[in-house]
Order: sequence, then structure tokens, then C-alpha cells
Amino acid sequence: MNHLIIGILLFFAGGMGELFVGQKIKGRLFLCGAALAQLFILPTAFSVLLDGQTQSLVVPFPFPIGRALLLMDGLAAFFLLIISLGGLLAAIYSIGYMKMNYKNPVSALGAYYFFLGFLTVSMLLVVLVQNALLFIIVWELMSLASFFLVSFDNDKAKVHRASLYYFIAMQFGAALLIAAFSWASLLTGDMNFASFALLSGIDNSKTVILFLLFFIGFGVKAGFIPMHTWLPLAHPAAPSAVSALMSGIMIKTGIYGILRIILIIGIPAPWLAYLVFGVGWVSGILGVMNAIAQHDLKRLLAYHSIENIGIIGIGIGMGMIGRISGNAFLSLAGFTGAILHVFNHFTFKSLLFYAAGAIYSQTHTRNIEKLGGLQHAMPVTAALFLLASLAICGLPPLNGFISEFAVYIGAAKGLAAAQMATNLASLVCLTGLAFIGIMATICFTKVFGIIFQGNSRTSAEHHPKEVSGWFLTPMFVLGGLILVIGLGIPLVLPLVESVVRPFAADPESFVVLQKIYWQATHGLWILTGLILFFILLRFLLLRNRSVSVFKTWDCGYQASDPRLQYTASSFASNFMALVKLAVPQNQKLESPQGYFPTMAGYESHSDDIVERWFVRPLIDFLQRFFNLFSWIQSGRTQQYILYGLIFLIILIIWIIGVR
Amino acid sequence: MTLIFAVFTFLIAPFLLPGLINKSKALWAGRHGAPIWQPGYDFLKLLRKGQVISKTTSFAFRLAPSVNLAAVILAALIIPMPQQTALLNFPGDFVLFAYALGLARFLLVAAAMDTGSSFEGMGAAREMTFASIVEPAFFMLIGTLALMTRQSSLSAIVANLDDGAGFAMLVKSLGTIVLFIMLLVEGSRGPVDDPNTHLELTMIHEVMILDYSGPDLAFMQYAASLKMVVITTLLANLLIPAGIGPAGAALLFLALFMLVAVGIAGTESLIARLRMSHVPQFIFLMSALALTAFAVVMFFRNGVLR
Repeated sequence: MNHLIIGILLFFAGGMGELFVGQKIKGRLFLCGAALAQLFILPTAFSVLLDGQTQSLVVPFPFPIGRALLLMDGLAAFFLLIISLGGLLAAIYSIGYMKMNYKNPVSALGAYYFFLGFLTVSMLLVVLVQNALLFIIVWELMSLASFFLVSFDNDKAKVHRASLYYFIAMQFGAALLIAAFSWASLLTGDMNFASFALLSGIDNSKTVILFLLFFIGFGVKAGFIPMHTWLPLAHPAAPSAVSALMSGIMIKTGIYGILRIILIIGIPAPWLAYLVFGVGWVSGILGVMNAIAQHDLKRLLAYHSIENIGIIGIGIGMGMIGRISGNAFLSLAGFTGAILHVFNHFTFKSLLFYAAGAIYSQTHTRNIEKLGGLQHAMPVTAALFLLASLAICGLPPLNGFISEFAVYIGAAKGLAAAQMATNLASLVCLTGLAFIGIMATICFTKVFGIIFQGNSRTSAEHHPKEVSGWFLTPMFVLGGLILVIGLGIPLVLPLVESVVRPFAADPESFVVLQKIYWQATHGLWILTGLILFFILLRFLLLRNRSVSVFKTWDCGYQASDPRLQYTASSFASNFMALVKLAVPQNQKLESPQGYFPTMAGYESHSDDIVERWFVRPLIDFLQRFFNLFSWIQSGRTQQYILYGLIFLIILIIWIIGVR
Repeated sequence: MTLIFAVFTFLIAPFLLPGLINKSKALWAGRHGAPIWQPGYDFLKLLRKGQVISKTTSFAFRLAPSVNLAAVILAALIIPMPQQTALLNFPGDFVLFAYALGLARFLLVAAAMDTGSSFEGMGAAREMTFASIVEPAFFMLIGTLALMTRQSSLSAIVANLDDGAGFAMLVKSLGTIVLFIMLLVEGSRGPVDDPNTHLELTMIHEVMILDYSGPDLAFMQYAASLKMVVITTLLANLLIPAGIGPAGAALLFLALFMLVAVGIAGTESLIARLRMSHVPQFIFLMSALALTAFAVVMFFRNGVLR
């Protein structure tokens, strides 16, 4: 445990130390701190994951907090691993990415690295702390640090607005959490998580409300629909390293919170399991549907984060359903799938955001309609992007398949269960996951096809080149993880056993699950072998033949032009027409007028129905409500003095009256 | 027996099926038609040729034929032959089956987009749109069968299909129709796609492999054929009763195989290709029937109807 504290301090020291050195070595110094920290954090986390022994440390804090427990159990160790690794990769990537900002005096590079360190440290602490008050403090620090990182480019009006929106959304979530934690502490008389276990003995309806408060509060951070609206705004605004860190890791602290709450207070009512499942299901489907309609690459990836959080939610929901219906295997498979997906989503989503940053650094645009043919200029980035795209679609033999597969097996076994409700949920789960998977494929064939393939759609003002090793190293590490987890899951699975055990303690089911994974892995190995075999066969067949290179067959139309290529909107339009009820398209047509038309225009953009019909009206209502009190702050000094006077009079009356 | 089935699935059926379809279509139209083994001759011819590659393309285009073929073969290894157990069978293996086909589809579409041709982009967009309806319906059907048999691997599901009560027959016939529509969509046959057209604007699968030639085209065509064989096998599995014995099952399988080929030819000869905007409505029939099958199983299982 002491090693861990040293590691956390090293991250912090890196963030502080770089403030005192020159522009160009800030990043390298920060990286040194982050790299050294790994030496302390990773072995500790691995040892906990391997032998399942929890480690703890009691820190005596001054008055309001008291004795606080830092606990590293399997769950905490698992998240520590991701956060620490993700922090390191972000540090490497930032050195390359932030070169764009060297010349810009307004962009405070020092502050960037400081808050990057701060964010990593606060996330590490969030998963360790076991005391409500301390938890709220580090939770808020985490939101604050990420807010400053999102607003890095805040001289742009859009970024400024997005970061404020993000901040308010985080405060909304935190407010619910504060309410929940204080109420729980009041009910149990203690602020340590361990004593919250007493809650299960208290009035059940109170525990249900508490669970809901926690779920919504943590759900805002995680980005479950309908609490997701900050994601598509904040991710495009933030620098890419930060987007990767936030999407890959920070939103998972919301998942961590939900999992921790399930561990502490259990599942107070059966319908909560179906609620979590339903929210996950809706998030998954609506998230990816909205993603297909997007043209801004990072906004699109943000919607995919919502989708993947949805898949994690489906896993947790299935696990909870298994638990309340006494189906040990379903419970194990659901939670295992969710926990594996937390890690897997970290790998491919970070890789995709890093690739998006690499593209942005070379082309200075995030609008995919303006890109095209980048694979010739950036072949390595293109190959890694394809790898991550395949993984995020859940396709074998990569890691996205592995985690979704666990939930699928759970659902397949749930169909054999005796309870009708479990059967129904399992079928809904199967169909939903399949639908999510195929929609993700639509989205990523679109993204990969439009950005990297074909010909460039605009005349290149910037000449894109392959990015430097600072960009590529983190991407290669993540790509390696995608392959290793995909092909070697039976070897990786024991690592998550100690994470899942508290949720579904059933060694027998675990053995069954492991056996199924072995059999599936044989399939994946056969697939890989076959792919290699056919590549070799193709090579041998073509070795001494004539292979000529000519232009694409244009069906006899000779005057072909890159602008004739299929665009992202046209690729998506067939599908969007099918789902126009869920993702309405707003179209504006200025048709040509008169015999000699001069002006004509057409534009279309998609609407997020949850934002349009639920979140926006809610915000408007709150705004109108609070406007009723705006007269209190009139800006006139006289009025404020009057407030002081009234306060004093009330105080005097109160003192006289009470005495 | 396994060996015979394997030889049939991988070496004979992928050429026999399109050959049979073409021959019966020719007979419907009053022509003699090409020999039944013409697809086989074409395959061997293509394997011996060189090829032309578009200069716009990169690695996805070169990788796609190999990955596509490998993925479809993996899918074939999961589907049980009549009254046999598949080489790969484990709880949830149908997920690997569907996702292997998904991998093949991803690479096929990526290869089409790689050429930068708007025709191929159009084909790719249609392929993905139609697949988005097929995929959930397929899972709904397999989920229903899993619910009926209380099994979770394809081999076990088809082995236990007859254990159910009287409603099993109803579910099986609904399942057969669902799989037949899936075969038409995934195999790019009419009325969804028109494999014989000469107009690139109206094609789906054919337009996506427009730029392939030589061995690559051979790989792609073989993979597409094998995919149809695999779905046909699954369909036949639903209809072959349990107590018929291995030899009878093999003969019945062969008969069903030919019947499916003739059925596809008949569909294509009688029905014109649907308007592209009407194709989704046709495919939604799959979802509707699968949902009906699910409702039947749920009601009978839980004693609402008897």
C-alpha cells in the first residue's frame, strides 16, 4: 500500500515539477513522473489481482473526516491498473500532440500538464477512498481538473461553452451524490463505506431511493442516457489526449461508483436490476444510432462512448438480474462481461481518440466529410484505426468480442432459466447487443471508409504526413492490448476473477465460464490461422503473375472526380431513413428560384431526441424557475445593504427571542 | 460421415448451389443455360489468372478476400451437419457464428469503400442497411430456439428441436421462413438484389466486388457461395427430424439443398427485384416472424396457451 502512495505522489510530483521548467521539456518531465509511478502502482495492483488479498491503509485526518480507510480490493486494483496505464499513455501522447501549442502563448502548457497530473491523481484516489466525505472531495477534484483540461482552448467560444456545460453537468451529478452520501451517513451514523452495509437492515424504501440517487449521480459521470448530453459537447472541445483519458477512463469512475454501491448496499429491490439493464440497453442503442449521424469525428466517438457505457450497463444489469433471480452463472457472466468491457473500451476508445488527434494534427479538421484517402499519407495510423474499429464493433478475434461474448453467454444461459422474466430479459439483451453490434459496424465502416479510404475530398492545404513516435507509441501499446486480450483471454481471465468474486461468488460457474472461453478461443485461433493461411496462399498465387495497377473501374464514366465519391451522409442516409423516429433529421432546403437561379442551398443535421424532448425542456424549466429569483441579485448596492440590515434585525430578534 | 459432409460443404456445395440456381433459372426461362458446374470452372480459371488492382486502394482491399474467406469458413465450422455435432460447439457459439459473418461483412464493405467509387459506396451502404435488420432478427430466432430447447449451442439446439410439444412444428416452420429470407438477403439474391443485372446502380453484392479480379475475385465469390451453403445447412437442420438415421438424414439434406436452390431460382424468376426503398419492409418480415415464434414459445412454455 505504501508503494501505491509513492506512485500517486510521483504522478503529482511530475505535474508540479514541470511548472518550473521550460516549454519544451515540460512534457518529458511529466512523463518521467508518470513512468516512475508505474513501477510502484502496477506491481501492487497486479499482486492484488493475482492473489486476491486486499490491502488497506488507515489515514487519520483532522476533524470533519476522521479516520479514513484507503482500501485496495480487486475492484479498486482493476481500476487503478487502467487509470495508471492510461495516465502514462496520455503523458506520452501529450508530448507529441501539444507541440501544436508551443508557439501559442495563451495556451498555458504548464497548467495543462499540472491538471493532467491532478486528474490522474484524483482518479486514482477516487477508487481507493472508502470514506464518504473524502470521496466527495476527490470526486469534485476530479471534475474540477477535467473541467480545466476541457477548457484548454477556451479562447474559442464553442470550447468555452462546452466546458461550462460540462462543469454544470458534473455539479448536478455531484449534488445528487452529496445528498445520497449525507443521507446514508445520517442513517447509519458513520461516514465510512463499510458501515453503509447496515443500510440493508434499514427501511427498504429508503435504500431504494438511495440506490436511485447513487445511480443517477454516478450515471451522469458515466454518461448513461438521459444523463449523457455533456459527452458530445465536452469530448470534441478537449485536446485529444484529454478526450482519450476522459472517455477511456474518467467516465468509468461512474461505473466504478455504481459497482461499489452494488457491493455495499446490494440490490434493494428487484426492479432496480431491470432499470439498470433498461437504461444500459437504451444508452447502447440510442448512443450508436446518434453516432452514425455525426460528421464531427470526436463527437461521433463521444456517442460511441455512450454506446459502450450502455453495453457495460447491459452487462451489469444482466448480472443484477442473475443475482436477484438466483441464477449464479448469469450473474457471473454479466458482471464479468461488464468488467472486461471497462478495460476493453479503454483500449480501443483511447486508441481511436488518439488516432483522431493524429488526424487533427495533420489536417486541422475534425469534419470527416472533408477528409479522404488518408491511408496513403498515414498508413500506420490507418492500420491501427482499422484494428480499433474492428475491436469496437465487437468482431472476432479482437478484445471487443471477448467482453460482449461474456454477456451473450449469460443471456444464452438465461434463456434456459425457469423464470419468465429472466427469459424475456435475455432475449431483449441478445437482440439489443446484436443490433448495437451491427450499427457500430455501419458507423465504423463509414468512418474508416470516408476518412482513410478513397481519394481526398478537398484540395489539401496541409500536406498530411505520418505522425511521430510520440503519437504512435501509445497507439501501438493499445493495439497490442487489443490483440493480446482478444487471442489470449483464457490467460487474462484469472486476473479479473478477484474483481468479479464479490459480485458473484460462485467458483463453479467461473470454471464453466473459463471452459467456454477456452472453446471460443480455439475458434478465434482457427480464424487467425485461416486468415494467415489465405494471406500466404494469395501471396503465393500472385507471386509470378502480372499484377497491374490501374484506376478504379468507373463504369465507363471517364470524367471522374474525387467529389463524386460517396460521402459520409450518403453512406449513412439509407440507414438513417429507417430510424428517423429515433434520430430525426432536420433538413433545410433553399431551392433555386426563378429562371436564372443564383442561390441554392441544402443542409441537414440530426437531432438527439433525448436532449431535444427531455434534457432541453428540463433545463429551460429550471432556468425559468430560477429566473423568478433573479430580482434578489439586482446589482444595486443599496439593495444589498438592505439585505444586511434585514439579516441583522432577524439575528437580533432571534437572539432576544431565544434568550 | 463427417468427412463426407466436410467434402460436400467445402468442395462441392459452394459450386453446386449457384450452378443449380442458374440452371433452374435458365429452365424456367426456357433456355438451356450454362452447365451446372460452370461456377466451379470459373473458380479454377480465376485462380490461375493475374489481376488488376485500383491505384486508389490500400491494405484493406488486399486483406479483405483472405479475411472474408477465413471468417466464412469459421462460420461454417460452427454450423452442425444434419445429425452431427459441429467441430466447434460451445454455449453461445451462435454469437461467434454471427460475428464471424460480421467480420466478413466489415472487410467486404471496407474493401468496397477502398476503391473510392461511388457505385461501390452505394452498394456498401445498402449492404450495411439491410444487414442491420437481418442481424437482430437472426438473434431473435436463435434465441427463440434456445428458449424452446433450453440449450445454448447451435449443435445442441438443433439436436433437441423435437423435444418440444406440438408447437415445435409451428416454430420450426416460422424459423424456416426466417432463414430463407436471411438466405436471400445474405446471399444477395432476388427480390433483394439482382445478381444478373448489368447496371451497377441496382446491384448490392456484385457492385461491391466490382474491382476484384483473378484469385481475389475467386476468394470473394467462393466466400459468398459458402455463406449461402452455410445458411442453407442451418435451414435444413430445422427440417430434418431426429429419428431418421444418418443415411436418411444425408439423403433428406441433399434433397432439401436442391429444393432450396430451386426455391431461390423460382423466387427470382417469379418476383422482380423490389425497389430499394421497399427492401427493408421485406426484410422486416424476418423480425416479425421471429417475434411471432418467440411469442409462441413464451406463451406455450409458460402455460398461457395449451
